[in-house]
Amino acid sequence: MAYQLYRNTTLGNSLQESLDELIQSQQITPQLALQVLLQFDKAINTALANRVRNRVNFRGSLNTYRFCDNVWTFVLNDVEFREVTDLVKVDKVKIVACDGKNTGSNAAE
Amino acid sequence: MESVNAEEFTVEAVERALQQLYYDPDMGKKNVAQKWLTQAQASPQAWHFCWALLRPDKVPEIQFFGASTLHAKIFRHWSDLPTGQLDSLRSQLIAQVGQFASGPKMVLTRLCVALASLVLHVVPETWPTAVPDLLCAFQTGEGVTEADGQARCLALLEILCVLPEELQSCRIAASRRSQLRSALAVEWTSVCSLLQQLLQLADAPCGVRERVMRCVSSWLTLDITLKDSEGLLQSCFAVLKESELFDIAVETIVSIISQPDCQRFADSLLKVVPQVLGLQEQLKKAVRDGDMETSHGICRIAVALGETHCRTLLEQVDHWQGFQALVSMIMSCTGTPGRYPVDETSSSLTLTFWYTLQDEVTSLDAERQTLYLQIYRPVYFQLVDVLLQKACFPRDEDYATWSADDKEQFRTYRVDISDTLMYVYELLGPELLRNLYDKLGTLLTDTTHPSSWQDIEALLFGFQSIAETVDVSYSDVIPGLIGLIPLITANNIQLAETIMFTIGSLAEWLADHSLMLASVLPVVLHGLSNPDLSVSCVSALKRICRECRHDLHLHASDIMAVSQAVLDKEIHKSPQCMWIMQALGFLLSALPSEEILGKLLSLVTPHIQQLEKLANELASSANKLPTIHILGLLSNLFSTFDLNKQSERLEVMRPVQTQPRNNNPVVVVLQQAFPLIQTVLNKWLNEPEVVEAVCAVFEKSLKTLIHDFAPLVTQLCELIGQMFSAYPQASALDLTRQLVHVFGCEKDHFTPITALLELITNITMSIFQLGSRDHPDVVESFMQLHAQVLRRKSELYLSDHLDIKAVFYCGILSFKFPEAPTLKATCLLFTELISHCEDVPAVRELLQDDGKLLLQTLLEAIGGECPSSLAEHYAEVLFSVSRNCPSVLSLWLREALLPPGFPSAHLTAENKEHFCQQILREQASKRRMKDIVKEFALLSRGLEGTEYTASY
Repeated sequence: MAYQLYRNTTLGNSLQESLDELIQSQQITPQLALQVLLQFDKAINTALANRVRNRVNFRGSLNTYRFCDNVWTFVLNDVEFREVTDLVKVDKVKIVACDGKNTGSNAAE
Repeated sequence: MESVNAEEFTVEAVERALQQLYYDPDMGKKNVAQKWLTQAQASPQAWHFCWALLRPDKVPEIQFFGASTLHAKIFRHWSDLPTGQLDSLRSQLIAQVGQFASGPKMVLTRLCVALASLVLHVVPETWPTAVPDLLCAFQTGEGVTEADGQARCLALLEILCVLPEELQSCRIAASRRSQLRSALAVEWTSVCSLLQQLLQLADAPCGVRERVMRCVSSWLTLDITLKDSEGLLQSCFAVLKESELFDIAVETIVSIISQPDCQRFADSLLKVVPQVLGLQEQLKKAVRDGDMETSHGICRIAVALGETHCRTLLEQVDHWQGFQALVSMIMSCTGTPGRYPVDETSSSLTLTFWYTLQDEVTSLDAERQTLYLQIYRPVYFQLVDVLLQKACFPRDEDYATWSADDKEQFRTYRVDISDTLMYVYELLGPELLRNLYDKLGTLLTDTTHPSSWQDIEALLFGFQSIAETVDVSYSDVIPGLIGLIPLITANNIQLAETIMFTIGSLAEWLADHSLMLASVLPVVLHGLSNPDLSVSCVSALKRICRECRHDLHLHASDIMAVSQAVLDKEIHKSPQCMWIMQALGFLLSALPSEEILGKLLSLVTPHIQQLEKLANELASSANKLPTIHILGLLSNLFSTFDLNKQSERLEVMRPVQTQPRNNNPVVVVLQQAFPLIQTVLNKWLNEPEVVEAVCAVFEKSLKTLIHDFAPLVTQLCELIGQMFSAYPQASALDLTRQLVHVFGCEKDHFTPITALLELITNITMSIFQLGSRDHPDVVESFMQLHAQVLRRKSELYLSDHLDIKAVFYCGILSFKFPEAPTLKATCLLFTELISHCEDVPAVRELLQDDGKLLLQTLLEAIGGECPSSLAEHYAEVLFSVSRNCPSVLSLWLREALLPPGFPSAHLTAENKEHFCQQILREQASKRRMKDIVKEFALLSRGLEGTEYTASY
């Protein structure tokens, strides 16, 4: 199962802008653009799962949390992010997280 | 082909076009042929010429186009099919599939897809028995006379395989899709029994059985249940014995048992357990023979069962032995002998299972949890041993032969192990640390069996994995561990690095147990002179200085001396030197106030002298980098030198400080160094990196000094003015924004800041006049600066010298920039500006005169000139207009949208009117406004309503 949340990244946005242009100039169909986006979802999900092992720790106070449609959302206040050498403080953070395991995928629509 | 018209869509013409498409060297002609063929496919004649193209005497390329055309007609132009033609189409198509059953494969597949597409049009109403009829036709050969038994069988399997795939890919309404899915799923019993028979046939060729299993995977997408596939699954397990079908059998089994829905059929699942356990002999043999593919495959099956159905199996209390045996099997997979990834690749597959099992056990009710923990705590202790064994580095001579890729994979594998250990700590608690400590103690004190560095490293790695994220203050073994660290002979880089990382991870604990600092600091300071330990050692020092700065007084001189020495000797690379300065910033700011200035001066003086020397030399590329380096050292030092934090710690009850403290040591240093910095700047005015580095020195110190920075404000404003006049750069604007942020509201600093703002606004105007396109960064920072001014101190806009109108027009021009950050900043400026239309008369007048221009520009941007992903930022501006000047909005909006084709040719008058009404109604919800704008942006681009934009 490939999540679509990475479409809203610099890379994803740039890809979508390019696809939009290609559709508008009628060089590709929206169906093909969708296939490209789905391929992007797959690739970025795999790459982030398999090729990245950077670890950041953080702590803060939990303001709100919810679990809806298999998506966790946490809103944290006064958060400290610690990477090995750096510490960053932020007043408010929203974390959106999906299950990294494959088992939650469901063919139902 | 240009002259070809619709009358000429004949077989011959199509063949000529195909010839051109495939073989003409001229790309232009190929393209024309391609376009013409697409038109031909769409024409009504295509229903006829497709059959002629499929004749046996044609070459495969032509036959393929015939089959594709047939599919395209059925898929897209189904409604064109004359009534009463269905039966003949169906029988002809089935006959053609029979004809091509022996190949070419590409034509057969296309025909099968066409047949599948036909079935999906007519099931279940017109042809309710489609699947049984096809099964019968191809099994008996009735209507499929051209092919022999095996070819028919392969063709049938191809049809069955593509049928669910075609359902997945076709674009139909959700309700129709689910109707079709159920209609097909009903047929699974008969399909399944055929597939099972074929799989069990002793003499069935490999090709047939391979396709059977592909078919199974394809049908799984129809949500067929495990209960209805038990026999088939069993047959797949039997196929695992055959090496050439092993991979596809693993794939199929994993697909079947990974269906989350299986949990509804616990009885069926329980039957799978012994089958999986039955693979252990095969697994052992594969491990013995070094057959990585086989062991990997079997491990995947065991893990798929354990991971997907952990909860269900755990709850089958009567069958606990079975599940425990499965857990043991997975443990043996985790502990597969050999090194990852060189000798084995299975162990990494199992880690998620251990998380899952732990989650399931710990989420049971208290009573059952106690019971299960008795069983599973020992299992998890065993897991820790296994994982640490797997995390061990190989022997030096072996590791030297590994490729860089293998080493990187091993590193990520260790991080995964580290994450697992951290999670396991939640279950095992401090006892886990004690266990690790005891083992480490034994290794280090056993003189009869000298231990390898790899074993010691692995245990420390375990400690570090846990201490890195978990609060270890409950553990009583940390003092013991710290006592053991100096006993370790760090004769190897990996071991030494892990020691440093372990010390770093204990920094927070050390802050509460400062007496122990004396044991570890010498280890760190000793390591600091080793360039191979640069990253690990400097980061340990920084963490200690950050967390324990209030207890480092006694060690300050040592730390300073060693740090200064390694900086002098240039042992570390530039980024690590910056970390050292940050560490020293923490350290110095927590010293008794009477010591700070002296120590600070002794630290910075050599660097300032060096900078002075460089400033007196002729500017060249050789001394640019050293100049930037020294400026970087200063800004990093000041970024952590924070006396305000010091007073927080002392809990001095005083009001929030807005008055500058006298003689802040950083201010003293900056005042002394100011003339030198000015000299450096004069020399490097045209070098953005140097200017940025200078700005960073002030920006970082401003962030920590805040109001203490006051004595420098006037001087700095002048400096920024000179800098920006000579060569306008974004970093100067960003620094000004900081100044406005901190001192914008203070009377004493009003004059210099206003003067600076006026100056840089005028200069930026001239950039716009000369052509701002080459400076998107300057424009972005300029927009942000003015947005900040409006937010913090809108009174500055009352000044006569500030040309607000010019700022407004610059904003309008900035909307034409393609750079997203520039556009965002521009939207921010207008959002702020409009919100002041009541309290700043100049803004009010401006909007009255030119509000329509703003609206027009905004609509152009939304209507296609700017990326649609920024739609929400434009919505913010519109929302601000709607909130603050609703009366004029209605007028402007309708007027602006009046010209036909504005802002996009895709929009009708109704679209625009609907948009106007929605916008004018929306004054409460920003989110709703964003949705309206997004929808309008898609409409303007002709992208609305496609599945592609559904997720926008």
